[in-house]
Amino acid sequence: MYHALLTNRYLTSRVIPLIAVAAVALCVALVIIVVSVMTGFLNMVRDSGRTLMGDVVIGYPVTGIPHYERLIERIEELPEAEAATPVVDSWGLLKMPYPDGANKDTETVQMWGIDPESFARVTGYADTLYWRPPTEQQLKTMADDDPRRQMDEQILLDGLALRDSRSDRAGIVPGIHVSIGNDRQSDGSIRPARNGYWWMPQWEVTLTTLPIATGGGMLEPESRIFPVVNEFFSGVFLIDDKRAMVPLEIAQRMLHLDQGEIVDEEQLDDDGLPKVIGVDPAKATMVLIRAAEGVNPDELREQLVGVYDAFRAELLQDNNALVKPPPQGMGLSIKTWEQQQADFIEPIEKERELMRTLFSLVYLVCAGLVLAIFWAIVYEKTRDIGILRSIGASRFGISWIFLRYGLVIGIAGALVGVGLAYLVVRNINTIHTAMGDPPMWLAIIMLTLALVAIALTVYHGRRGALMPITLGLLVSITLIGAGAVILVLKDRGGVVIWDPSVYYFTTIPNEMDSGTAIFTMIGAVIFSLIGAFLPAAKAADTDPVRALHYE
Amino acid sequence: MHKTYRLGRVDVPVLKGATLHVKPGEWVAILGPSGSGKSTLLHLLGDLDQPDADGGEVRFDGRSLASMSRRARNLYRNRSVGFVFQFYHLLPELNVLENTFLPALVGLHRWEYYRRIGQLRQQSTRLLESFGLGHRLKHRPRELSGGERQRVAIARALMNNPKVLLADEPTGNLDEATGAEILDLIAQQHRDGLTIVMVTHDPAIAKLADRVVHLHDGRIAE
Ligand SMILES: Nc1ncnc2c1ncn2[C@@H]1O[C@H](COP(=O)(O)OP(=O)(O)OP(=O)(O)O)[C@@H](O)[C@H]1O
Ligand SMILES: [Mg+2]
Repeated sequence: MYHALLTNRYLTSRVIPLIAVAAVALCVALVIIVVSVMTGFLNMVRDSGRTLMGDVVIGYPVTGIPHYERLIERIEELPEAEAATPVVDSWGLLKMPYPDGANKDTETVQMWGIDPESFARVTGYADTLYWRPPTEQQLKTMADDDPRRQMDEQILLDGLALRDSRSDRAGIVPGIHVSIGNDRQSDGSIRPARNGYWWMPQWEVTLTTLPIATGGGMLEPESRIFPVVNEFFSGVFLIDDKRAMVPLEIAQRMLHLDQGEIVDEEQLDDDGLPKVIGVDPAKATMVLIRAAEGVNPDELREQLVGVYDAFRAELLQDNNALVKPPPQGMGLSIKTWEQQQADFIEPIEKERELMRTLFSLVYLVCAGLVLAIFWAIVYEKTRDIGILRSIGASRFGISWIFLRYGLVIGIAGALVGVGLAYLVVRNINTIHTAMGDPPMWLAIIMLTLALVAIALTVYHGRRGALMPITLGLLVSITLIGAGAVILVLKDRGGVVIWDPSVYYFTTIPNEMDSGTAIFTMIGAVIFSLIGAFLPAAKAADTDPVRALHYE
Repeated sequence: MHKTYRLGRVDVPVLKGATLHVKPGEWVAILGPSGSGKSTLLHLLGDLDQPDADGGEVRFDGRSLASMSRRARNLYRNRSVGFVFQFYHLLPELNVLENTFLPALVGLHRWEYYRRIGQLRQQSTRLLESFGLGHRLKHRPRELSGGERQRVAIARALMNNPKVLLADEPTGNLDEATGAEILDLIAQQHRDGLTIVMVTHDPAIAKLADRVVHLHDGRIAE
């Protein structure tokens, strides 16, 4: 039991072990922060799938799936499927209300024709609508100039129905970053840019699409003016930046995917016009499906493959249906969101594993540090080792002092590291914002502290002792440097590391990955122990007679 | 016993057949010039070092140390003998009280610790008080004078009630008056029945012992 006493005393009576604890803590924090942010990023990508597209997508681009209503009916009969919704998507040009004059700004957008009611059941659409009256909870923290304070329920209802209640016309809901009229604030909320001049929900936009003929050729462009009824904010920058929602029927009409007639040019009817021989049904380029509670998207996909085949077989038999759905494979795909995004998700997953492995090298740093420090301590404590042996301590007992010591440093470092990582990860957006716009007071504090440090250096160094002068100069220079960096950053307008257009999301994930935290902690403790092994063995091997001679 | 040190390729024989019998309760002083191997002999007796192979043996209570297990020998150093050194050899990070009961801690199992620690503190406090150190319990060794440090070292050596005290020039680093106090203390323990083997190079000090032996040319002479 003397080990505990000695470990405590050796730990508390010198600074080096504290440095070791700090170093281990920094290593641990580093790994946890990096992996947590990457894991959070992956989770956000996965979650955003559900918000944006549901769990599984049946897609047949351009020409679209005919009789999709019947397909949806069949899908909704599945117990594994919660809901399904048709979507028509295409590229389009959105003419903005700015600048003034004839040369309006035109942006390429992804037009999504949706059936808002079922779309909201499959995706998180309703929650992504940005303009809405605030909840009691939100009001408490909402800035005074936030326009949402003035909102009433109608704007939300209009967004949900894709209909402008004032003019009773079909409306459009673009992503929040489609227009340059929305300024994102540091708290994540949106303000109308230029004093509301280009604030979208008060304007109309013109959407132009190029319908494609059944044969593949382009038809005349179709244009339509829409009042902006709301904007959606999914958090996925690439979507918020590019997508615009319009009602399904209108999109179908604009793309010529609506219901039409099939005529036989050879035959004429009673009025002398080509004879109508059947119906060309409306089509959807995608059917989005949400899995029932607890159902894995992959399971659902398996089921859907069967459902689609049955649906197609049913229509192939149906003599009234002249237009048949395409077979699977030939451009028609049934994919889960993850499969759809595989090209995107897989590299990130690989990158994360790479990071984990690379950063695991810091364990070696931990081990090396503990080794170096303990080696020095064992060397310094040689005489103590001799004394302890002379009063009956065993070789194992001696080595256990140092192993225990390593264990304590590992555990303390791991705990401090996790705490640090937690603080950083939780506040990562605040920290990032501060880096983008460094607060002036921080620079002032740094420079004031630098002045204090210089004064102290002069005071303590006046007798010419080199330690206080060196230490004081180091601290002063560090503080001045930090202050200068802040001022330069301030001058340059800060650094933005997490550029939303590169990193996909508008905020940095701020959840600590507990699995990684636990593994990193265990790793740090184990490697600190490993670092302590060699010095502990040296301590055990110390010859007591020589140790006692050691002056 | 024979003890040879190897310095590089050269063998340096220090003990060349030294034989010493110490009876229970006896105080033996080992006298000899510097470098004669007095400390070496004491280290062999205290199991801090071992004689050459086939270089004789140390017997305690009739049992050869060489025949004992490591564990038994740790126990021997812990319980049966107590060491006092010329340079005190206290642990600088521990206070006086902790230094004193350290040997008791070394021999203690974890589960005995909580049960016995209070009693050990009391016992070592009493010991230190009887050595006139009652007011120094919480002090660090560096805050004590040489004489006080040596008294703490003796208290530590006696903590586990050993049968033998091995003292290597216990007064070698002290002035005459302080040295006399320390010798008084040792004499007191001897009167109480403790067996003492003391190394010195001062014939005046050696006179205090029941018997004086000379270490000369690696052998013991009466
Ligand atoms: N670990 C060692 N390695 C090599 N030689 C040693 C070692 N320890 C002691 N010696 C040598 O053995 C001899 C006897 O040393 P020892 O310390 O026993 O003498 P001593 O009689 O105690 O002397 P002193 O009165 O100065 O303390 C010396 O010549 C010393 O140099
Ligand atoms: Mg000596």
